[in-house]
Amino acid sequence: MKVDVEMGGGSPKLLERKQAVYRNLDERYEIHCETYKGQQYSHIYFTRLHYMRNLLYSLVPKWKPNLPVNTVLGLEEEKECIIVGTIYKHMKLKPSILDEYSKERSKVPLVKPHNFVHPDDHLILEDESGRVKLAGSLLDPSAFVTGIVVALHGKETSEGKFFVLDMLEAGLPPQIEQPPSSTEDKYVVFVSGLSIGSSTFNPLQFQLLVDHITGHLGDENEQTFASQIVHFIIAGNSVQILQGLLNGQTIAPRDQSTLTEPIKELDILLNQLAAAMPVDIMPGPSDPANFSLPQQPLNRCLFPGASAYNTFISCTNPHQFELDDIQFLGTSGQNIDDLFKYSEAKNKLEFMERTLRWRHLVPTAPNTLGCYPFTDKDPFLIESCPHVYFVGNQDKYETTLLRGSDNQSVRLICIPKFCETGVAVMLNLRNLECHSLSFSTGLNV
Amino acid sequence: MSGGNAKRRGGPPPAPASNPSKRFQAGSQNPQTPQQPLNGVAAEEDMMDEDVFLEETLLRYEEDEEAVLLLRDEAFSSRLSRWRRPALSLSHLSGCESIVFQQLEIDYVIGESHKELLPNSSGPAAILRIFGVTREGHSVCCHVHGFEPYFYISCPVGMGPDDISRFHQTLEGRMRESNRNSNVARFIKRVELVQKKSIMYYQKHSSQPFLKIVVALPTMVASCRGILERGITIDGTGSKNFLTYESNILFALRFMIDCNIVGGNWIEISAGKYKKAIKSMSYCQLELDCLYSELISHAPEGEYSKMAPFRILSFDIECAGRKGLFPEPTHDPVIQQIANLVTLQGDDHPFIQNVMTLKSCSPIVGVDVMSFDTEREVLLAWRDFVREIDPDIIIGYNICKFDLPYLIERAEALKIGEFPILGRIRNSRVRVRDTTFSSRLQYGVRESKEVKVEGRVQFDLLQAMQRDYKLSSYSLNSVSAHFLGEQKEDVHHSIISDLQNGNAETRRRLAVYCLKDAYLPQRLLDKLMYIYNYVEMARVTGVPISFLLARGQSIKVLSQLLRKAKQKNLVIPNIKGQGSGQETFEGATVLEAKTGFYEKPIATLDFASLYPSIMMAYNLCYCTLVTAEDARRLNLPAESINKTPSGEVFVKSELQKGILPEILEELLAARKRAKADLKEAKDPFEKAVLDGRQLALKISANSVYGFTGATIGQLPCLEISSSVTSYGRQMIEHTKKLVEEKFTISGGYDRNAEVVYGDTDSVMVQFGEPTVEAAMKLGREAAEYITGTFIKPIRLEFEKVYYPYLLISKKRYAGLYWTKPDTFDKMDTKGIETVRRDNCLLVKNLVNECLHKILIDQDVPGAVQYVKNTISDLLMNRVDLSLLVITKGLTKTGDDYAVKAAHVELAERMRKRDAATAPNVGDRVPYVIIKAAKGAKAYEKSEDPIYVLENNIPIDPQYYLENQMSKPLLRIFEPILKNASKELLHGSHTRSVSISTPSNSGIMKFAKKQLSCLGCKAVIGNAEQTLCSHCKGREAEIYCKMVANVSELEMLFGRLWTQCQECQGSLHQDVLCTSRDCPIFYRRKKAQKDMAEAKMQLDRWNF
Repeated sequence: MKVDVEMGGGSPKLLERKQAVYRNLDERYEIHCETYKGQQYSHIYFTRLHYMRNLLYSLVPKWKPNLPVNTVLGLEEEKECIIVGTIYKHMKLKPSILDEYSKERSKVPLVKPHNFVHPDDHLILEDESGRVKLAGSLLDPSAFVTGIVVALHGKETSEGKFFVLDMLEAGLPPQIEQPPSSTEDKYVVFVSGLSIGSSTFNPLQFQLLVDHITGHLGDENEQTFASQIVHFIIAGNSVQILQGLLNGQTIAPRDQSTLTEPIKELDILLNQLAAAMPVDIMPGPSDPANFSLPQQPLNRCLFPGASAYNTFISCTNPHQFELDDIQFLGTSGQNIDDLFKYSEAKNKLEFMERTLRWRHLVPTAPNTLGCYPFTDKDPFLIESCPHVYFVGNQDKYETTLLRGSDNQSVRLICIPKFCETGVAVMLNLRNLECHSLSFSTGLNV
Repeated sequence: MSGGNAKRRGGPPPAPASNPSKRFQAGSQNPQTPQQPLNGVAAEEDMMDEDVFLEETLLRYEEDEEAVLLLRDEAFSSRLSRWRRPALSLSHLSGCESIVFQQLEIDYVIGESHKELLPNSSGPAAILRIFGVTREGHSVCCHVHGFEPYFYISCPVGMGPDDISRFHQTLEGRMRESNRNSNVARFIKRVELVQKKSIMYYQKHSSQPFLKIVVALPTMVASCRGILERGITIDGTGSKNFLTYESNILFALRFMIDCNIVGGNWIEISAGKYKKAIKSMSYCQLELDCLYSELISHAPEGEYSKMAPFRILSFDIECAGRKGLFPEPTHDPVIQQIANLVTLQGDDHPFIQNVMTLKSCSPIVGVDVMSFDTEREVLLAWRDFVREIDPDIIIGYNICKFDLPYLIERAEALKIGEFPILGRIRNSRVRVRDTTFSSRLQYGVRESKEVKVEGRVQFDLLQAMQRDYKLSSYSLNSVSAHFLGEQKEDVHHSIISDLQNGNAETRRRLAVYCLKDAYLPQRLLDKLMYIYNYVEMARVTGVPISFLLARGQSIKVLSQLLRKAKQKNLVIPNIKGQGSGQETFEGATVLEAKTGFYEKPIATLDFASLYPSIMMAYNLCYCTLVTAEDARRLNLPAESINKTPSGEVFVKSELQKGILPEILEELLAARKRAKADLKEAKDPFEKAVLDGRQLALKISANSVYGFTGATIGQLPCLEISSSVTSYGRQMIEHTKKLVEEKFTISGGYDRNAEVVYGDTDSVMVQFGEPTVEAAMKLGREAAEYITGTFIKPIRLEFEKVYYPYLLISKKRYAGLYWTKPDTFDKMDTKGIETVRRDNCLLVKNLVNECLHKILIDQDVPGAVQYVKNTISDLLMNRVDLSLLVITKGLTKTGDDYAVKAAHVELAERMRKRDAATAPNVGDRVPYVIIKAAKGAKAYEKSEDPIYVLENNIPIDPQYYLENQMSKPLLRIFEPILKNASKELLHGSHTRSVSISTPSNSGIMKFAKKQLSCLGCKAVIGNAEQTLCSHCKGREAEIYCKMVANVSELEMLFGRLWTQCQECQGSLHQDVLCTSRDCPIFYRRKKAQKDMAEAKMQLDRWNF
């Protein structure tokens, strides 16, 4: 791909867009022939526990070599031991589908709090053999969610609870060594939450971004910079379709266009992008994709224009890939948003860090976040540590470099919603440094 | 641990004492007592004493029960011994301390009179047994001696002392005649001349002679009464029929009344006044003998209002059924599991949780799991457990009708004669009796089994629920959903056998389920404060706690009446069964309802305890009633009598204070006190007691009126009840008149007031004021003004304002309820189908939502639109099937129903399909109405919802529209909307109808499936996977719609199935629950099926 740059009368300088080797690793998130045959969610928990338990058992000898390892069933009163199991958090405020039926309609409509954490919440540890209520002040329930697997050191009390003395999480997974850093700058651009079709979407703002990175704007410096962008990633919520139109009723012909208008607009923009560089588009909660995780790629029939390019890649959510041997893992944000609803942390980056330490991308699925009822695997287990871990559709841009005990280092990125902030994120593949690109159409800037 | 290596005691199990040959040597009456026929009569209450001979129920073999205990191995008994009651202190053991305990149960047996305490008497006598618990938690059994059964007759005029002894002899002779097989030495112990007065009618004299007849045994009261009522010939005076007095009082109650003991109060016996039992007869820690005159009964106040730490056992059993049949003890093998929970009164956690299983069972955290190899061992282990932990109260769900009888009958079938020793009396078997219990007053006729466990109170939560709450379903599941906000996992009994026949893990699964069933009754008991409320009710009304559940309302009033009468030296005649039950009198008045939707505040004026206050104000009582004849004869001055609107005459309190008014005054004063104390109280337990008490007092005050009106009750007096209602009617009319006269423009008010409706004890007034505040002010003013025109203590109170107010018809209205001017408290509805059980959920939701929109949002067009949308959804087959399920209980088999009923027919059909999962008698049958051939009968159109789901059978929307929705909807909308029926039920929204094609119908078997265009349903060839050429251009749009549908289903699928995981309390195990009572059961099934279909369609795009 070449960018022709015309400079005011001067000799045209040919800038060549840099390239990076791309490998799509989405396979584990793809659902091909699996169907709903009556399988339930117990299998996911079972495989998750099975995998994590093996892992934690291998860590226990280093952690507490002298303690016996037990199951929930085998607990004996006042005898210290280690048990491994899935955490279940009992939450008072957790909304239940039964409320629709059993509760009398209250006079005030139910206000949905953004966070369901309550001081009375408590934790329960469960394995195949049973569950036991956890006691003691070591574990703060607000920092945990249902679905994670941990090892606990403690003893059973006379009331049949398990008094926790210490806890072991799996910790950051091992990391493939980072490729020796090259000398050239190569950039990856992340955006999310374009929300084309919503009232907050500003077409000009995004067009500015597109023009900027495709090299149609700015001076030579900027164009040189643009030519270093090797990949473009859209992390979910590209369009917003009016929900009223999709209630299953026949759509009047005049509404048919309003329904597909945002998608057409997106197709045009994608067309421009894909002509310039490889584009990965991930589905998000508001996109025309399925709801439960892993979300399957947006269907190509939605993008008759862009799908003609082989640089247009419609991928799954979560999305995993490799660029120049650097491992990327990311979601459109549902996993972190759900953690934010059911637990507490100082910021979104901490939630991200926790998922890595728990070695599970979406611990709250299937409990509070919809997911496909897999029977033989749990694709969200994080077996190896990515170099870059991103989530889309967050309120603001945040980033940090997380270092693990085994010398792992992970770039964590919260990609803000573009339609609200006008911010895209650029990552330099050379040193995994990150900065934001801000676009504004306000007159005062 | 397993009981498999338990040492077994040699020898065959002793045969049950089916032939009680060893009766008391003094003998007893013929088992067919002359009163037997009375038992069969649908009496309001079964007021018969039944003499139990102490040794009759005991096992024949005279073995020490220690031997029976030794049946278990040592590990088991050491396990049991941990849970024993606290050991007795030395002072208790030495008997030098007075004993104070809270009694819970009082009964009596016939035994030999106590030689030391009663040196002068011999032969059989009634011995009362009081069971209770001390403050320290020791169990007490107190044998009370010397109290004798008696009753009264009025003394014939001119009877001298000689006549009395002659009368005595004659009566003795007649008694001997009618009890020929009995060889009691003396039937009539004494006949005494006493001065008493009958409670009936106003009498000028203060007293007249009565004969008190003291008999040997309690049942002889009834037999002697029979003789006297039928007539007896006394030498010299000729044949005479006698009216008996107080001859129908249960012996235990008689004793309580005479000793001033009320149910659940504290009793003290001073040191030295009791004797420790020489040979202990019971399993209680303290067992004493004393004279009835030595008991000190403490009024439940101050320190003595507290509760002793009773032990409450909650249990549940699981038993195997044969395929397709509900378990029956005689055929069905096994009692598989028994889960037990024992809680101390006042604690919030059980201190024992265990489960006894047949065959091995994996451990459960926090639960003691005991496994046994044979059913016999399970049963005996449970018996030992009950005996060792010695519960005071046994609770459970449906234990009286199912669990306990099943255990006992099963033990009988297995010939385990030593099993049913569950009571507190050594070697005494539990007795099972079939009883029919009917109460006209409140509860309707019910058949039940009575299992008598001596010394322990049984509290069946099911009975309590049925008695105290009107619910659409009484399954444990729906009751706990209602009160605890939890769904209970429900395992179908056909799965229960599979789980039991699996391995230790599946049995553990069952055990967890069983434990939950034992835990929920305990939680209900706590949540609804049953112990406090029932103990307080017993204290207020003075009856034993066990009466409250097992007997009707009127015994409570009778108990209070008897106590009061005793103080006043009055006696109560036995005029039971006087009426045929046919007499009626004019009931309460209901003012004509001016139906409509009122958008101005409606003030409600209520009479505070109307009926009790009328009785007090006008001194209405048995003893103030003047018969028409007396009225002429006595020539009472007009100023000292009241003539009631119904024409009866009662004297005023100056001449004779009525005892009903006095009882009521005391009850209401006590309630006031309790409420005041409640405000002061800090301690939660004290609060619970006081709240229970004030509630009990209120209920008691209100039931007095009903007692006088119960024509087949204990002491009906229609003169009183019809006077009460006639006064009530007069007052409502009077209030209406005054309000409409005073609050007028000409009276100086801004607007004319209008009474829109009035019911039994309340009047709804529209003052015309636009604001709630102004209406409240006027309401208060009116209440005060009108109260001034009534005799004390009748009081009209202003309580609330309805705004807006939808008055549908008599006894049916809805409105927002305001007690303070700034915000409303709640939405209040009366008589509107939101809880009727034979309505489907759709109707309930629709009615609720409409009322919500009309009243709270004040959006009538919105409500109309909502109705139209719902109807349209129904016709277009877009309604969630679970909303359409109708449930009915299957009470008898099909042949027993006279008329064919939808649910019965369905049950039959389902039995033909699969006998194992078909509903049985006792189950609730859920069904939906499906589209059937033209002219099909309604009962043929019912179908199993699951079957409907699986086979895509179309439902019949017209049925739902016409038979379910139209009536309640029109009721609501007719006052608001013109042409409501036309607008709602026949509008344009009813034009488009969609009916699904059943996948199993005949024609479909011959149809060939072909791909159709996902956009327009045109048939397409296999080359085009998804769309026809015409729809190709709308590809994106059609895809969006489909994916949105999938997305919605996925969300639902996730939420439904994780909810079920939540209910079952396990993430790692599959959900087994098949609770058809659960609202999401069908939805969950449907989501699963829809999801599979939608996914398949979506996959067609990924070519």
